[in-house]
Amino acid sequence: MTRVLFPVRCFTCGKPIGHLWEEYIKRVKQGEHPAKVLDDLGVKRYCCRRMFLSHVEIADEILHFPKVS
Amino acid sequence: MELKVLEKTPFSLRLLVKGISLHTLNSIRRIILSEVPTMAIDYVIFIENSSVFYDEYISHRLGLIPLRSDIAYDKYKPPEECIEIGETQQYPPDCFAKFDLEVEGPEEGIRVVYSGDLVASDPDVVPVYNNIPLFKLIKGQKVKFEAYARLGRGKEHAKWSPVSIAVHKYVPNILINEQECTGCGKCVDACPKNILELTNGKARVKNQVLYECTMCKLCEKVCEVRAIKVSHVENEYILYLEFTGALSPKKTLIEASNILIKKLDDFEEKLKSMGVLQ
Repeated sequence: MTRVLFPVRCFTCGKPIGHLWEEYIKRVKQGEHPAKVLDDLGVKRYCCRRMFLSHVEIADEILHFPKVS
Repeated sequence: MELKVLEKTPFSLRLLVKGISLHTLNSIRRIILSEVPTMAIDYVIFIENSSVFYDEYISHRLGLIPLRSDIAYDKYKPPEECIEIGETQQYPPDCFAKFDLEVEGPEEGIRVVYSGDLVASDPDVVPVYNNIPLFKLIKGQKVKFEAYARLGRGKEHAKWSPVSIAVHKYVPNILINEQECTGCGKCVDACPKNILELTNGKARVKNQVLYECTMCKLCEKVCEVRAIKVSHVENEYILYLEFTGALSPKKTLIEASNILIKKLDDFEEKLKSMGVLQ
């Protein structure tokens, strides 16, 4: 799933998850297993978990393009 | 009616409710989901936006931020009054809490703007989480806006719902016929929630895990001698609520009950005025 920024809430259940993203990606990049990090963060349901697992942060590249409007 | 708290954290509540009919419990659940008002950003006025993100994209993200509403609940006017005022593009302080933001991209690197960067006019209405990334800026990009939050109800938009999950389920009742059970262990292997075990050659439910049962009845299906039967207990339910943090669990439940009582009173009043009731 290509999304520009990590969503504020889970698409399916509406649980606020935006505040957990930075800790999640930091710990995963340090080599921790995603499943363990998500358990620690209290993300229980698979609707919320897929939000993390499938996210690709492309905002950092898009920032350098001009806006078409 | 009997209540037992099975699980309680700042953001979730699991209750075992006995001696209440399903429709009563469901009324309360649906009122929590769609009627209890909370604060959420509803209007955003952009003064400048030279970021790569569209105004509506940023506005949408702002709207989804849960805002603390425990005190605001009694301080601001009810949703019905404020909807009309907002449509006239006026934002009086008895209806709307204001947020300001003015940020510029840094000389070098990327600036991430968080929900905590919003400057709130009312210290009682602030984001529950201060570290939700809203958008990003680089050099030369600037964003300036005013955002207005008001009370609203979940039935209007889910961002106003005080809960993300509100469900009830039956209390499982697993009956195992000890005479017929051969102790083959097939049900133990079949259970996806792993709540059965073999003791002295007979299948039985493990201690403290009965509520985990989802009543899928796989154990019933695999049992060759039909010694196991899954049913539910009458008038006993498990209510599970997961909160966004906008309202405390206590306030949510009290206000949900008040709203339900008021609805019933209004109904009775109406019946009386129509001459149906004396």
